Amino acid sequence: MRDADLYSWGNPWFRWSIVWLVVLTVLSLLVGFIVLPAVHSDFTAQGIWAGICRAAGVPSEWGNRGEAAVAAGPSSTNVTISAAMTRHGTSDAIGRGATIAVQQCSMCHGAQGMSVANAPNLAGQYPEVVIKQLHDYARGDRTSSFMQALAQNLSERDIADVAAYYDSLPKARTAPARYDEPAAPALVRVGDPMRNIAPCIACHGGIDHKLGTPWLEGMPKDYLVAELRDLHSGARHNDSHAQMRNMARAMTAKEIDEVADFYARREKVPER
Amino acid sequence: MFLARRLVLAHFAVAFAAFLLAIVLGEWQMYVRSPLHAWINNPEHYYRSVTAHGTVMAYVLPTLVAMGFGYAISELALKRTLIGVRWGWAGFWLVVVGTAMAALTVAAGKASVLYTFYPPMIASPLYYLGVVLVVVGSWVWVALMCINLWAWKKDNPGAAVPLAMFGNVASALLWAWTSVGAAIEVLFLILPVALGLKDTIDAGLSRVFFSWTLHAIVYFWLMPSYIAFYTIVPRAIGGRLYSDTMGRVAFVLFLVFSMPIGMHHLFADPQVGAGFKFVHAVMTALVTVPTLLTVFTIVASVEIAGRLRGGKGALGWVKALPWDNPMMLAVAFSFVMLGFGGAGGIINMSYQLNESIHNTQWVTGHFHLIFGGAIVIMYFMIAYELWPHLTRCAPLPQAIIKLQLWLWFVGMLVLSMPWHLVGLLGMPRRMAYYDYSNPALQSQAWTVTASTIGGLLLVISALLFVYVLVRARKGAATPVPFTFSLAAHPYEHTPVALNGFGLWVAMMIGLTIVNYGYPIAQLAVLKETSVPAIPIGGP
Repeated sequence: MRDADLYSWGNPWFRWSIVWLVVLTVLSLLVGFIVLPAVHSDFTAQGIWAGICRAAGVPSEWGNRGEAAVAAGPSSTNVTISAAMTRHGTSDAIGRGATIAVQQCSMCHGAQGMSVANAPNLAGQYPEVVIKQLHDYARGDRTSSFMQALAQNLSERDIADVAAYYDSLPKARTAPARYDEPAAPALVRVGDPMRNIAPCIACHGGIDHKLGTPWLEGMPKDYLVAELRDLHSGARHNDSHAQMRNMARAMTAKEIDEVADFYARREKVPER
Repeated sequence: MFLARRLVLAHFAVAFAAFLLAIVLGEWQMYVRSPLHAWINNPEHYYRSVTAHGTVMAYVLPTLVAMGFGYAISELALKRTLIGVRWGWAGFWLVVVGTAMAALTVAAGKASVLYTFYPPMIASPLYYLGVVLVVVGSWVWVALMCINLWAWKKDNPGAAVPLAMFGNVASALLWAWTSVGAAIEVLFLILPVALGLKDTIDAGLSRVFFSWTLHAIVYFWLMPSYIAFYTIVPRAIGGRLYSDTMGRVAFVLFLVFSMPIGMHHLFADPQVGAGFKFVHAVMTALVTVPTLLTVFTIVASVEIAGRLRGGKGALGWVKALPWDNPMMLAVAFSFVMLGFGGAGGIINMSYQLNESIHNTQWVTGHFHLIFGGAIVIMYFMIAYELWPHLTRCAPLPQAIIKLQLWLWFVGMLVLSMPWHLVGLLGMPRRMAYYDYSNPALQSQAWTVTASTIGGLLLVISALLFVYVLVRARKGAATPVPFTFSLAAHPYEHTPVALNGFGLWVAMMIGLTIVNYGYPIAQLAVLKETSVPAIPIGGP
């Protein structure tokens, strides 16, 4: 019994193993790539070869819709968040950012990034959040008459520096939005699985912080309510892959109010 | 004889210690999402636990059992000392260090990505490096098994390789090629992102690579149990193996067909063409062939035992079987669970039927029944069989062992049958909580409680199992020499094709290239297939 005897066509084990494997493979390829696609007329409308390509997963246009169909629909965002955006800025960048911020941002967002004008607080905001929103304003993906005009005049470096400046300021803290915070509404802690609403704290900090999601604690309530309503209606649509629109769409006005109320609470507010 | 005793013992000790911790986590998961407990406030804790449970049960336990059992087989079947014991220890420590690294990272909440990784979620690199160390440690075992077989063949030219060693090396080769998919995914796609060198990841391609590993790994888990079916069960119940050749055919068929079928896990994934999904479904169907061959051969072997014990008639031999023998119980339980689990598996692999159960609790039920049930119950028997030889302990208490097996069998059915049922009703898997107050779900709440009770039985069974092993009085007896099953026709001729692996490995690689080559190449060169990574475990 030598191994060499095996690898010859005369050995029935060798011969039949190869033959059956090839027959099986070819048959299943035939069925999978030719017979089954032929059952669906749209699969093979452009000929057998096109059908084979589709069965193989080659990207193709379906039904000649072309680029026009892709281009339709409101633009969401053009920003891909990268890890580089999340890094803390150098003191040089923070200094430049502070100069720009004092001149252009402090009127609404507050001298130290804490707004008294129902604009969002920016103190301690994650840098990638500020960068993304400013880019979205500049492109018109997020709308605001003030912010679009201001953002369009900022260079790439200006934006990064402003983000670095606000990142360097201390965050507003309120009663913590954590899973073991008893005052937190259910939507904040556990979401609502039957309506596909994820818990706020799964992305906004508390359980996990996902890239690109803003720090919410201490935000002015009016701002939070306005944004959630706009996301609910689709008027605001610069969230990538409709992540927030899909959450807000299912929320009632009462729930929006409760969640905003919780995130806007200040520490000195008397207990309910 | 049996110089690798301590090496095997070390593998089993770590495997079963990890198993005990992971099974408690599993039961905790079941409990907190049942109506017996309020919603868990932090779902991340749940997914942390799922990740740890899956990583231990899918990577650590079966890998260590296969390695330890493999070293034992090498010495016991080839009747010579293991070549490369030191390398074996090095492999063992790689697995242990890797396990510790991954476990600590998961415990710290930095790797709640589930054991299937799921890009674009990205965990701490320490988790992936830990898993890589486990796999590299197992590759040492693969190499040692091949070297030991090669050396034996050189000294015994023309002799038939003992069936246990043949299955063992088939398992090692299967694992070597299987693990390449996940290794490529982790090393070239995930780790660069986890280390911060890249911000985006080709999630579709990653999933295709993982599917390369994901299904064949199941057959790597299963191989030790199949080796036990063929080479231990007939001897343990006083019978003969019906056919040695059939065992070899089953092992080589697993080698050829378990690999190029993983895309049946991707039926709902858009990045793979429907044609390839169909071909993978066909090849998956073929894995039933070695399984049914095994069921037939082992039932025939058991029948031999029944007839040797005086059983007569068409079914009289069943009554005559040694039902008070734990091995008899275990193999019967295993086959019942294999039957249900296998039938469910055929539904999973069918391209159309899969639609109705994809990502539901049905899938969880399926793999718990077939792996946790049919396979792991044989891991217990392997440990019970080898323990007297590893520790020179007195005979193990048969009554407790039988109780343990019964608890495992009943517990696994009570755990997994409700999962199958609610899976058909559409209950999604991987949920940290269900809203039982919703009228649509309220009627399904009892099934989760039932599964929790089944899980509790499994925990008790696992505690009994570890108790029996730990309390065995070491050094109290000199065991009789270990033997494997004798074939009913011990001098039957072994064809040269079934005495080596060259042809089968070539077929396995060839089929992999046919079934995976184009999808991988296409996704690798397609532009704009990457998505932003989502780091897990932020502040």
